[in-house]
Amino acid sequence: MPPALKAHGVTKQFDAVVALSNGALTVEHGEIHALLGANGCGKSTLCKIIAGTVLRNGGSIEVDGAPLVPKGPADSEAAGIALFYQELSLVPQLTVAENIYLGHEPRTAAGFIDHSKLQADANALLEQFAAVAGSGLALHSLVARLSPDQRQIVEILKVLARRPRLIIFDEATAALDRRQVEFFFRMLRALKAQGVSMIFISHRLDEVFEICDRITVMRNGETVATFSTAETDMNRVVHAMVGEMAEHLHPPHVERPPGEAPRLIVEHASGQRLRDVSLMLWPGEILGLGGLQGQGQSALLRGLFGADPLASGTVSLGNMGLRLRKPADAVHHGIAYISGDRGRDAALHGRSIFENIAAASFIRERRVLVWPIRLAERFRQAAASLNTRYPGLEEPIGSLSGGNQQKIFIARWLATKPSVLLLDDPTKGIDLAAKADFFDLVRGLAAEGTSILFYSSEDAELLGLCHRILVFNGGAISAELSGQALTALNLTGAAYGNAA
Amino acid sequence: MTGMAMVLRGRSWLVTLAALLVLVAVNGVLQPNLFTGNVLKSNLTVFLPLVLVAIGQTYVVLAGDIDLSVGAIIALVNVVTVAVINAVGNGVGAVLLGVTAGLLTGIVSGLFNGFLVAVMRFQPIVTTFATGIIFSGMALWLLPTAGLPVPAVYWRTYSGSLLGLPVTLWIFALALLLVAILVRRPFLTHLAAVGGSRTGAFQTGLPVARIRIQGYVLAGLFSAFASLCLTGETASGDPLMGRMLALSSISAVVLGGTALAGGSGSAFGSVLGALVLGMIGNVIFFAGLPFEYQTLVQGLITLAALAGGILVARR
Repeated sequence: MPPALKAHGVTKQFDAVVALSNGALTVEHGEIHALLGANGCGKSTLCKIIAGTVLRNGGSIEVDGAPLVPKGPADSEAAGIALFYQELSLVPQLTVAENIYLGHEPRTAAGFIDHSKLQADANALLEQFAAVAGSGLALHSLVARLSPDQRQIVEILKVLARRPRLIIFDEATAALDRRQVEFFFRMLRALKAQGVSMIFISHRLDEVFEICDRITVMRNGETVATFSTAETDMNRVVHAMVGEMAEHLHPPHVERPPGEAPRLIVEHASGQRLRDVSLMLWPGEILGLGGLQGQGQSALLRGLFGADPLASGTVSLGNMGLRLRKPADAVHHGIAYISGDRGRDAALHGRSIFENIAAASFIRERRVLVWPIRLAERFRQAAASLNTRYPGLEEPIGSLSGGNQQKIFIARWLATKPSVLLLDDPTKGIDLAAKADFFDLVRGLAAEGTSILFYSSEDAELLGLCHRILVFNGGAISAELSGQALTALNLTGAAYGNAA
Repeated sequence: MTGMAMVLRGRSWLVTLAALLVLVAVNGVLQPNLFTGNVLKSNLTVFLPLVLVAIGQTYVVLAGDIDLSVGAIIALVNVVTVAVINAVGNGVGAVLLGVTAGLLTGIVSGLFNGFLVAVMRFQPIVTTFATGIIFSGMALWLLPTAGLPVPAVYWRTYSGSLLGLPVTLWIFALALLLVAILVRRPFLTHLAAVGGSRTGAFQTGLPVARIRIQGYVLAGLFSAFASLCLTGETASGDPLMGRMLALSSISAVVLGGTALAGGSGSAFGSVLGALVLGMIGNVIFFAGLPFEYQTLVQGLITLAALAGGILVARR
């Protein structure tokens, strides 16, 4: 019998960036197969290609021996493949039952929604998976009124209602507590007994070893190894994720400049994606935030900038407690934020380079009236110090490349003379030369005493730049790496919840 | 959450219904003959166009969009209908042909709006504001000044009776029946899903663009219904007909408890909202207040409904 899924030689290129150079994965019938790897290894891209939301450039995928060339999600769904989204596909204004059967409503002969069948089907589904769903999930309640873990369960039920033969669970257990995870695993085993195949992506290695039959490891866009869970251990898997080359690569160890007192102190910060995070940042220190993507790093940075305010916890700068309800609060206190998502977080689209540099300074200096010609010289200097090439201060920001735009946004914040710089995956979509310039600049700022919190989705950037790294896992800090412990192996191990 | 708020969640039209009953009672006191057949019939004739447009507008708003061009569609449908009837020659056949042409005009206008907004991804408010100007321009081009009477068979039928009940009442009942049919179709759930979470609807595999277009087509169709009723009342062509109805329809939709952000609400609520707006006019008239107060009060009440909706949503 051919395997449930067989992908080999799958490639994908986004513009100049190769996301996948050789994706391979074989999943047997009734198998739970883990797909692991560090950030940017290509595991998400491979899953999206299988689910039809991303189109591949090359390679082949077979489902039950039949070739699959999806043109969209609907084609993969027709082949029996379902992708589990994290809360993203629910409609808050509809009820639980309506959400579960959205687009697949049972109909009467007249074409009306068959409400009694809808209720009966949903009830049967709920009963079948009562262990996971628990009690208290009312089918007629609006999804808007559910807690995040209940939404997760609805999302799972929605996937199951389509009776798929292969389910891709991408971080499906992220929002569940330990007890629910156990129920969830019980459900996976029940599905497995029915012959359903599953691809399981998780940031918790212990879960992977608990539930999965085999593990496929990806690195730098390539599938590097497949293990049988029974015949391997966590250490070997982590070694495969890191790779032998990186393992023996110890970055030159750099001590932060000796400081008197910490500059920024965060205590018990919590929020939607953050759980009780405390940290100290010293003057001149580059503190890295590591871990897999979406484990709370951006949430912390955006919280400290007031863009997505923290739900609880205290933040103090020097000896002063801060109230950060909106970005202007942070700007007034000399906290700057640079995001890799320039389009969303930084660019004043259609406005001039001058206006894009000046925006933050006007807030910091509480200017009411401005006299652009007198200020131009100041901002010209700020931009020149960064080695930026631009046609003229009056040109629109869109006329610059991504790397040069990012420099303009750095100039924006340098002009405010910040004491704390928050970097949120700042090198996204920037070419290598611009990256090197950028890192030189960050090192220079730190040497001058600026404190820097740096999140990157590329482990190599963190290891190359930081004095110390805090590893995030599920919204909390799971490990602190410094000194000799600052290695790729430890970083990957800690990201997957394996003790360093 | 208090028990009261619990009952009202998702049933905010109950408030509208209560307001309507109060207005009817006040109107009944001010105008003792309100509950006689003729007065009720003439009231219904006045309210019917807004009721119909408001129903159509609901389907657009549910999907998270808006249609500011419905007033202009009414004018265009009226002018097309009248022009076709006059061109073909004033018989019963001509009237039927004219009505068909009018309905088609409404549908095509909706398709045009939907295409620009859902396929070309133009911003709905500005787009339908602009298409409204285009539709008005076309109406004025077809019929520069009011005139061109419709044959007596048209307006006699409209103001007449069928099986002992006024034709307007039959139209009202048919509109409610259409609403009831649509409520039970999966389409309406999909419309609300698109308005509630566009990403969610897309990832679920719903044809988002097609659903939004269908919303606009329904708005165009119901505007055509409204226009044909207005034509039965005025009995002639008028390129400026229905100018106030676009904004009034949005007021009615809001009063009926439909969220302007999309995702929740009902066309039935909008019917109640339209009736409330109409009754406000009646009460102001019979209380002897100047007519200008009517728009003022309508505006204040719409604002209050918006504020009420936001307060409930924030809980």
